[in-house]
Amino acid sequence: MTHSNDASYSLPLAAAEGLAQEDFGKFTATWMPEGDDSDLTVLDCFDLPLLRSGRLLLEIRNTLDLLTADGQILTQTAQRGGNFVTDLPDGPVKRALGDLSVLRSLLPVGTGKIRRETLTLRDDEDKVQCRAQLRQLITADGGALLVFVQGLRGYEKARALMHSKIEAAGGKTFDDDDLFARLFPGRVAYQAKPEIVIASDEAAFDIANDIIAAHILVARANEPGIIADHDTEFLHDYRIALRKIRSVLSLFKGIYEPDQTEDLKARFSSLMAATGRLRDLDVYLMEKQKYYALLPVALHGGLDMLFNRLSADRKEEHAKLAARLRSKSYAKEIEKLERLFTRRKKLSRGPKADLSAHGYASTLIWKRYDKVHKIAAEIGPNTDDTEIHALRIHCKKLRYLMEFFAPAFPQSQVKSLIKPLRHLQDTLGLFNDYAIQQVSLAAILHQLDERPESGALELAQSIGALVAMLHRLQIEERAKVMDGVARFDRAETRQRFRSLFREGH
Amino acid sequence: MKIIACYSNKGGVGKTATSVNLAYAFAAAGKRTLLCDLDPQGASGFYFRVKPSKKLTEAAFFKDVERLTKAIRGSDYSNLDILPANLGFREFDVFLSRMRNSRSRLKKALKAIRADYDVILLDCPPNISVLSENVFRTADAIVVPVIPTTLSERTFEQLVDFFLAHDLPVKKLHGFFSMVQGVKALHGATIAEMQSRYPKRFMKTQIPFASDIERMGVLRAPVMVTAPTSAASKAYEALYLETAQRVEGE
Ligand SMILES: Nc1ncnc2c1ncn2[C@@H]1O[C@H](COP(=O)(O)OP(=O)(O)OP(=O)(O)O)[C@@H](O)[C@H]1O
Ligand SMILES: [Mg+2]
Repeated sequence: MTHSNDASYSLPLAAAEGLAQEDFGKFTATWMPEGDDSDLTVLDCFDLPLLRSGRLLLEIRNTLDLLTADGQILTQTAQRGGNFVTDLPDGPVKRALGDLSVLRSLLPVGTGKIRRETLTLRDDEDKVQCRAQLRQLITADGGALLVFVQGLRGYEKARALMHSKIEAAGGKTFDDDDLFARLFPGRVAYQAKPEIVIASDEAAFDIANDIIAAHILVARANEPGIIADHDTEFLHDYRIALRKIRSVLSLFKGIYEPDQTEDLKARFSSLMAATGRLRDLDVYLMEKQKYYALLPVALHGGLDMLFNRLSADRKEEHAKLAARLRSKSYAKEIEKLERLFTRRKKLSRGPKADLSAHGYASTLIWKRYDKVHKIAAEIGPNTDDTEIHALRIHCKKLRYLMEFFAPAFPQSQVKSLIKPLRHLQDTLGLFNDYAIQQVSLAAILHQLDERPESGALELAQSIGALVAMLHRLQIEERAKVMDGVARFDRAETRQRFRSLFREGH
Repeated sequence: MKIIACYSNKGGVGKTATSVNLAYAFAAAGKRTLLCDLDPQGASGFYFRVKPSKKLTEAAFFKDVERLTKAIRGSDYSNLDILPANLGFREFDVFLSRMRNSRSRLKKALKAIRADYDVILLDCPPNISVLSENVFRTADAIVVPVIPTTLSERTFEQLVDFFLAHDLPVKKLHGFFSMVQGVKALHGATIAEMQSRYPKRFMKTQIPFASDIERMGVLRAPVMVTAPTSAASKAYEALYLETAQRVEGE
């Protein structure tokens, strides 16, 4: 039976031969091939949640094997209706992938060959005392020998011997190893939030350039996925990267000359603008189930019509954006921007370009925090919605600033301040989503075809009911906003902001 | 979690052969299974190549949870563990009769490990004793191999009488015919006679007399592994299904 101290190891491919020569003392070691050598495809989501958590999902012929960090190899059929985890038939692999985002599809990370073997240790009565499954993975430029040790209850010595032989041969446990680097050396693993190293005396100019350059790369890494339409997260990440760049340009005042700042803002904004409609449609379609749950069955007919329209619109909108991303003019523009921030010769320094990170950031963060605090202090049951929206925007900017500059401050302190901020933002975000959805549904209502045969009446009824429901939800959320504000805007938090960002310099 | 005992007060009727194959079948069906060898001869452990436990004396079995847990060994098959016997198990009875609540000690001893398993199978030695009374009280079902001869008929009768006399639930008893030889007229007659006498107590499945089962002693593995397509394996598979159904159905 499985045991908590079973483990998975990865070794250099070359270690296989040495291991085969090993002497296991009083145990007889036998090596048995498991099936023929096969082609394999490594699957993961684009942001590699599996590889990053010490799991390897392999498609081998018609099966999916999930290799886990605790010595187990789970198997099920690879037949599936689509590439999302929810499209897999029920089975052990699907169950072990339950933590993956439902928004992300599984994609081929790379291909290779696999050789499978079992190593068994037996005693003098020919009783199995320990097994290990070996997987040799050979990719184009790399490879690994993976070993999954499965001890049997009560045979601790055999298990310990197996572990020690594998460790002596260079075996590292999955959590101590970089499987991605072993299998795909030289390739860069996608990172939605790139780590940017900041020294506290680094010039603000260099920091802004670093952040922007890194996020242009993030945006660009998502282009193929948007075009291929693997899942909606590609566009989402692309937009977040651009939004961060824009917020650097608007939040870091005086880093570049005003003219250049304005020019850059406009150029990044126009990149963003081309994606807005598609993102809106994606969000609608994601909310589909929720909308159906909000309305009685009698009004579902109208929703069917609504979602048919939205799907058709989305298809059209996606084709437009894909064409744009493939166009020469887009390539020219994004490459120009990329060059601008990697070479940096054509960037003109503004009056605050040379301020040091720590001091510059402290001022910005403190000022922004002060704004948040002032609005928060005023918020009561009668506050206008526009104030709440303003609070949301300031919170977002504050969060970006704190995240950008986090490396220049004591990590744990910044983290502990971001946490309550994030809670508040979640509530504000929901409040805002309900508001926006009402507005844009109303916009659809206005565009409706007036002719009776168009089915507009049924559609209008459903939309009307939906708007009413969303309005109710928004009111409910508003009560929570008050709560969230009270929790964030506490004397103790204020004091911590003050000591970290105001008194620290 | 269910506890199933394989028991008969008669020796050599196929208790161990049945325990070994039933345990394997439950495990193969995905149930986390423990085969607990209560017979000091250690035949069950032998079939799985597990050496007798040196440290698990009768005292440790009933008093030292940690020892008991440590004595468990993984079999070569997934989901199946074995608790091998110790020669000291010979003294179970003397030992048990000296203990307070001597008839419920087994239940207590198994409590510590029951969380790890879906099914615990008990391979019992052939006698009526304090230990077997413990088995009767602890088990959810008692599977009784009966060779269809006049003598076995008497043995089954004695067992039923014992249950009645001691206020034990007779419905825990699930008999089946073991080592059945189709050519023997006597077998056929006894089976018919007993089925009509105990209509609910006998399962439909019969285990035939088969040389594949005898060979288990040489091959040291369940016949369901060494001869999976044999008539004997199919019979054990059917017996497993019927037993599982009866145990679940209560
Ligand atoms: N169905 C069968 N066909 C042929 N031989 C069998 C069959 N069942 C058991 N045997 C053989 O009969 C002998 C006794 O079987 P087994 O050990 O299973 O009985 P038991 O009731 O456990 O005996 P004991 O009372 O000694 O524990 C063994 O040699 C076994 O291989
Ligand atoms: Mg026996």
